[in-house]
Amino acid sequence: MTDTQSSRLAAETATGGSIVDVSFTVNGSATSVTVEARRTLSDVIREDCELTGTHLGCEHGVCGACTVLVDGQPSRSCLMLAAQAEGRDITTIEGLAGPDGELHPVQQAMMDAHGFQCAFCSPGFLMSTVALLDENPDPTSEEIREELSGNLCRCTGYQSIVDGVERAVKIMKGGSK
Amino acid sequence: MKAPPFIYHRPETLDDALALLAEHGDEAKVLAGGQSLIPLMALRMGRPAHVVDLGAIDGLAEITEADGAVSLGPLVRHEQANRSDVIAQHAPLVAQTMPHVAHRAIRTQGTVLGSIAHGDPAAEMPAVVIATGATLTATSSSGERTIAAAEFFEGYLDTALRSDEILTDVTFPAWPSTAVSSVVEVARRHGDYALVGVVTTLDITDDIVTDAALAYFGAASTAIRVSAAEQSLIGSSPSREAFDAAATIVAAELAPPADIHGSTAYRKHLAGVLTTRGLTAAVDSIGVPA
Amino acid sequence: MSANTSGLVGQSVKRVEDDRLLVGNGRYVADVNPPGVLHAVFLRSPLAHATITSIDATAARRAPGVVAIFTGSDMEAITHPFPPFAMQPDLYTPLYYCLSSTTVRMVGDPVALVLAESRHLAEDALELIEVDYEPLDTVASIAEGLSPTKPQLWEKANGNVLYDHVHTFAPGNESVDAVFAGADRVITERLSCPRQSNQPMETRGSVVEVDPDTGHMTIHNATQSSHMLRWIGAALTGKQSTREAAKGIIANKERRKAFLAGAKSFLKENAEGLKAQDNDGMKSQLKADKSFLKHANLIGVGLLGKDDYPDVVAQDIGGGFGAKGSIAREDVALIAAAGELGRSVKWIEDRVENLMDGGQAREEDLTLSIAVDDDGTFRGLKVDLVIDQGAYPGFPVGAPLASAIMKVMFPGSYNWDAFEMRSRIVATNKGKYVAYRGPWANETWARERMVDIVARALKMSPAEIRLKNLIGDDQMPTAMITGPKIDETMSTKKTLERALELLDIDQFERDRDTALAENHYLGLGIASYHEAAPGPPGYWECVNPGTETLLNEEAQATVETDGSVVVYTSQMPHGQSHETTYGQIVADELGVAIEDVKLVFGDTRRTPFSILGTGGSRGGPIGGGAMKYASRAVREQLVDAASKLLEADVADIEIVNGNVHVAGVPARGVTFAELIAQTAGDGFEATRSYRGKGDGGWSVATHACIVDVDLDTGKVTFPRYLVVEDCGPIINPAIVDGQVRGGVAQGIGAVLYERATYDDDANLQSATYMDYLIPTSMEIPEIEVHHMETLSPGGENDFRGVGEGGMIGAPAAITNAIEDALSPFGARITSQYLPPTKILELAGVISPD
Repeated sequence: MTDTQSSRLAAETATGGSIVDVSFTVNGSATSVTVEARRTLSDVIREDCELTGTHLGCEHGVCGACTVLVDGQPSRSCLMLAAQAEGRDITTIEGLAGPDGELHPVQQAMMDAHGFQCAFCSPGFLMSTVALLDENPDPTSEEIREELSGNLCRCTGYQSIVDGVERAVKIMKGGSK
Repeated sequence: MKAPPFIYHRPETLDDALALLAEHGDEAKVLAGGQSLIPLMALRMGRPAHVVDLGAIDGLAEITEADGAVSLGPLVRHEQANRSDVIAQHAPLVAQTMPHVAHRAIRTQGTVLGSIAHGDPAAEMPAVVIATGATLTATSSSGERTIAAAEFFEGYLDTALRSDEILTDVTFPAWPSTAVSSVVEVARRHGDYALVGVVTTLDITDDIVTDAALAYFGAASTAIRVSAAEQSLIGSSPSREAFDAAATIVAAELAPPADIHGSTAYRKHLAGVLTTRGLTAAVDSIGVPA
Repeated sequence: MSANTSGLVGQSVKRVEDDRLLVGNGRYVADVNPPGVLHAVFLRSPLAHATITSIDATAARRAPGVVAIFTGSDMEAITHPFPPFAMQPDLYTPLYYCLSSTTVRMVGDPVALVLAESRHLAEDALELIEVDYEPLDTVASIAEGLSPTKPQLWEKANGNVLYDHVHTFAPGNESVDAVFAGADRVITERLSCPRQSNQPMETRGSVVEVDPDTGHMTIHNATQSSHMLRWIGAALTGKQSTREAAKGIIANKERRKAFLAGAKSFLKENAEGLKAQDNDGMKSQLKADKSFLKHANLIGVGLLGKDDYPDVVAQDIGGGFGAKGSIAREDVALIAAAGELGRSVKWIEDRVENLMDGGQAREEDLTLSIAVDDDGTFRGLKVDLVIDQGAYPGFPVGAPLASAIMKVMFPGSYNWDAFEMRSRIVATNKGKYVAYRGPWANETWARERMVDIVARALKMSPAEIRLKNLIGDDQMPTAMITGPKIDETMSTKKTLERALELLDIDQFERDRDTALAENHYLGLGIASYHEAAPGPPGYWECVNPGTETLLNEEAQATVETDGSVVVYTSQMPHGQSHETTYGQIVADELGVAIEDVKLVFGDTRRTPFSILGTGGSRGGPIGGGAMKYASRAVREQLVDAASKLLEADVADIEIVNGNVHVAGVPARGVTFAELIAQTAGDGFEATRSYRGKGDGGWSVATHACIVDVDLDTGKVTFPRYLVVEDCGPIINPAIVDGQVRGGVAQGIGAVLYERATYDDDANLQSATYMDYLIPTSMEIPEIEVHHMETLSPGGENDFRGVGEGGMIGAPAAITNAIEDALSPFGARITSQYLPPTKILELAGVISPD
C-alpha cells in the first residue's frame, strides 16, 4: 500500500463507515481489495483495479456507460456496491479481447461499422451487446434497439451502433471468433 | 455523487439479518438488488447508518409453486423471474410484466420483492400485487405476519413494512384458467418509469366477465385500483363499448399528480386510453370479439 | 507536381481512434491519477438567488481526509475575475470570480471548494460547510428578465437586459418599414425555444498535476480548446500587481522570452502595415494582425502569467457539443487551489452538477414578421430575438456570439428586400448559456417554422413557397442581404429539389389516410438552410468585425529521422474522428499508409496555437486545410531531397507506400528514413497556417421527415427521416453520416424529450437523467443521409464542415411535420418543445391543467 493509499484508508476509517475486504474475479484474475463499503463496483473497478475502460456517465443507473458483466449478466456497476460483488465473476471491456489481443467479434464489428464517435459510452454498449448476443445470437433490428435502449449515446443517433451489432451477428455466425 | 459512509452488514442467515434490523431499526436499510437504494444513496437522498445486505443468505432466491400459487423469495431478480418456467406457467401476469421493468442491466440485479417493498407508485410490480391480491409476508425477529395486498401500499414510497421487517415472500394466488391479463404503459422513453400504466386482469366465463382488476401505476401516490370501473365490467360481455365505458369511469375517477413529464389532464386522459388498450390486449389472447 | 495520393480521401476508412477506444485503452480525464492527487468537489448553492450572509467551514476542515477548503473570498484573494470578452458593442459583461462570495445567482452556483483524499471524503465534508443565505426574489424566465420590477442580477448593469441592439439591412431604395408597408400582407408569430443542454456523455473534468519537485503544472482537461485554457487559466490565477508583473518579466526567463517573442513576431509579421503609421495606425494594425491571438497569447504569457506557465494536455474527450469550449469557473478554481497547495488536484464533475452548471443553451423567444406578397414572394423579414443567458455568460462564447451569428444567418437561403433584427440578451437565475452544436440554430428553426406558417396562410405548399423564394443558381454569385457572399456552394434549393424527389408524396398521402383509423395523424415537414462551415472570406467580418483571426488553424507536419510521419494540429478532437480524417489527408499527400501517420493534438507543449480549438465546424475545412498544406510542403521537401539523391527531376519523383522513387523504378527507391540518412538531413518539417479557401464555405441541407402522432398518447414517431446534405467533397462518408445522424438525434431530443426545466422560482427540475431525457435507440429512427457534393468554383481543399448541421435542421423539420399532422385541428406550433402533454393540448384532446 502506498503512503497515499494508507493515508486515505486512515481517513476513511475515521468516517465511522465500514471498511470491507472483497474478493472477486475480474477478467479471469482473482482480485482482493480492502475498501470502504460505500464504494461501488464501478469505483473499485476504476480506482482499485485500475481498469479505466469502464466509464461513469451518470452514477445513478440511467446512462449505462458503466455496464459490466456480473456472472455473465449485464449489470450497472454504479448500482452495485463492490461488497455485493463478493465471489462474483466480473468482465469489463478490457476482458473482451483475447489474451493475444485478438478482438472480440463485437469490437471488430463496431470498428467496421464506425459504431462510435467519442466512444465514452462504448464500454457499456459493448458489454450490453456481448450479453445480448450471448442470449440471442440472431436478434432482429427491433430487438437490438430494445436491448440497447438502456445505454445512452449522445453522438451517433444509434444507427451505426445497431449496424455494428448486426455485423457482429454476421461475424459470429460465420464461426470466426 | 458518492454515498455517505455507513456500517455494512452481510449476515449469512435470515435470523442474523432480522436481529440487525431489530437492533438498528430506522437507522438500517435492507439491501437486496440495490437498484433503487444505491442511486438514492449516491444522490445522498438516502443515508442509512446501517446497510444490511441480504446477498450472502442462501435460499432467498426461490421461486416455488403450490396448488397453483406462486411464491417468490426476497432475492429473486426480475431477470430470473423473466426466465422462470414456473412463473411463465403459473403466474402469467408476472411474466408479462417483467419485460416492462426498466432495462435488462437493471433487471439482472433488481429484485421483484425489492420493487414491491420500495413501493414506487410508477413501478409495475406494486400494481401487479394489488391487481392479483397477492399476499405479502413480512418477517421480523419477533415473527412473521402476512399483509394483504390492499393493505400494503400506504403512501408515496411508503408501505406497511416496519423498519425491523424484511419482505420475505410474495405469493400470487392460483391463476384461474379463465383469467386473462395484460400490462400496458406509456413512458416518455422506452424503459422509463411509466407516465401511466395499467395492469389488467379479467376472469371471463361463458363470455361474461366474472371478475376484473384494473390497477394503475403512475396515476396516484401509490398503485391504485379503480373499483367503479371494475364493477362496470363485471357481468357484462367483453366488448369495445364496455371497455370504453370503464375507461370513461377511470378518467373521471383518477386525478394523477402532474410533474414535468405530464400534466394531470394528460395522465387522466392516458389512464382512460390505457384502460381500453389494456382490456383489449387482455382479451386479445383469447380472441374475444372486442 | 501532382500528389501521388493513396486515394484515402473520399473513402469510409476505418477509424484510427477505435484501436484504443474500443478495447478500453482510451485515456479520458477521469482516467488520469497523478500520485497523491487530491479530489475536489464544489459546494453549490441550493437557491437560485440569494445573498450569502455567512459561510463557516470550520467543521468541514476537521472532517476526515480534508486537506483544504477554499471559499469565495479565499479565491478572490488569489484569482482575477473572468474578464469581459466583449463580442458586441453595448454589451454588458459582468465580472465574476471562479467562486461566488457574496451573491449566488443560480442553483448550482459554486461557493466553496473542498479538497480531500477521496471524492467520497470530500463530499462528506461538503455537508459540514454551513452557509447562511438570505433569499432574493428570482428572475426565472425571459419575461421576468425583461421586467423592470424584478431585482437586478448585476449591480452595475442597467436592469437585466444586458444587450439591446437593432440591425437593419435594406440594400434597395426602400427602408425596412417601407418594404413592409408595400407588401400585400404581414404575418407575425411569436415563437419560443425552451432551454436545452449539451449533455456530452462524459461530464467536465480537470486534473491539475503539480510536479512535486519543480511545482510545474500540467493541466489534464476535457477541453475543446487547450490553448485557451492554458492562456486564460494561467492569466486568471496569476494575480499580481502591475509592478510584480513587470518585475516578473524582467526576472523570469520564460516570461521574458514569451513577451519578446510575441512582440518580435508581431513587429515582423506586421512590418509593412506598421510602416509610416502613427499611434492610431498601430491600433488598426493590431486589429489587422493575422496572428493577433497568437501574439497576444505570447505577450500575455509575459504580462499576466505566472512565473511558470502551466501546460495543458487534453487526451480523449467524451463529447462536448460546445459545452467544453467554455473555460469553466471550476477550471480556474482548480488551478488556483493546486498552486496554493503545491499538490495535484482532480475534479470530475458529476451528472447532477453537469445538468446544473455544465452548460445550457438555446432558450430564446423569437417574434418574426414576414412581409409577403399574395403570390408568395417574400419581401421583408423582421425578427425580435431575446436570449436567456442565465446567470453567467458562457466564457468566451455564448449568447452574444449566438445573437451575432443569428443576425447574419436569419435570412437563410431566401431572397429578401429588407431585414431587420432586434437582439436582446437577458440575465436570469438559471444555468449559464453556452454554445451548443450550431449555436445560432434557432434562426433556422424560427425562420423555417415561419415559412410554413406563411405558406399555410397563403394556401401554398411548404415546398412551393420555398422553391419560389430560395436563391437559385441563376442568381449566383450574389450575397446574402446581411453581407456574406454566396456562390454555387449555397446549394439549398438543389437539396430541397432532391429531397422532394426522394419523398414519395403519394404514398405518404395514402399512409396518412390509413393511419386515421388508429387515431394516428401523419405529417410531413421540411426545412432547408445553409450554414457557414466555415463560410466564405468576409463572413466573419459580417458576424463580428475584427475577430476573423479567431478562425485560424495551424498544422505542423514532420518526418522524423526514423522516417515516421508525425503531424500536429491545433484542433482538439472530441468525437469527430480527426485522427482518421487527418490521417487520410496526410497519407494521401505523403504517399504513405494511414497507419504510418501519427496525429498529435491537445498538448500545448507540442501543438500549434489556436484560440478556438475544435468548434464552429472548422475541423475539416480549416484544420484539414492547414494539415493538407503542411504535409504538402513536407512532401515538396521530400521530393526535393529525393531528386538530388536520385539525380532525377522533381517532376519524376513519386512516393508510393512510403517509397520515394523515380517514376517507373520503385525498386530503386528509398524510404523516408533512408532518404534522411543519405542526405544527412535531420528530418523534414513544415508548419502552415490556414483560414479557409478563397470562396465557397457553405454547408447546406434539407431535412424532410414524416411524423406519426398518436393522438391517444401524444407520442410522436418517425416513419421516415431523410437528410439531403451538401458539404462539398467528403473526406470520409461514414464519419459524415455519423455527424449528421448524431445531430438529428439531438434535434429529435430537443423537440420531443429534452428540457432543462426550471420552476417559477428558478429551481432546477431536471437535475438527473430521470428528468433530463436523452433519447435512446428506441426513440431515434433510422435516418437516411443523401449526399450532394457541389464543388466550389475555386477548386481544392473544398471540404466544408458537417458537425453542426444535423442539429440545425432537425427541430424545424420535426415541428413543421407535427403542425402538418395536427392541421385538421388548426394547431399552431410556436414552441420548439413538444412533449406528449403539449401534443394533446395542441390537438384539443386535453385542456391545459
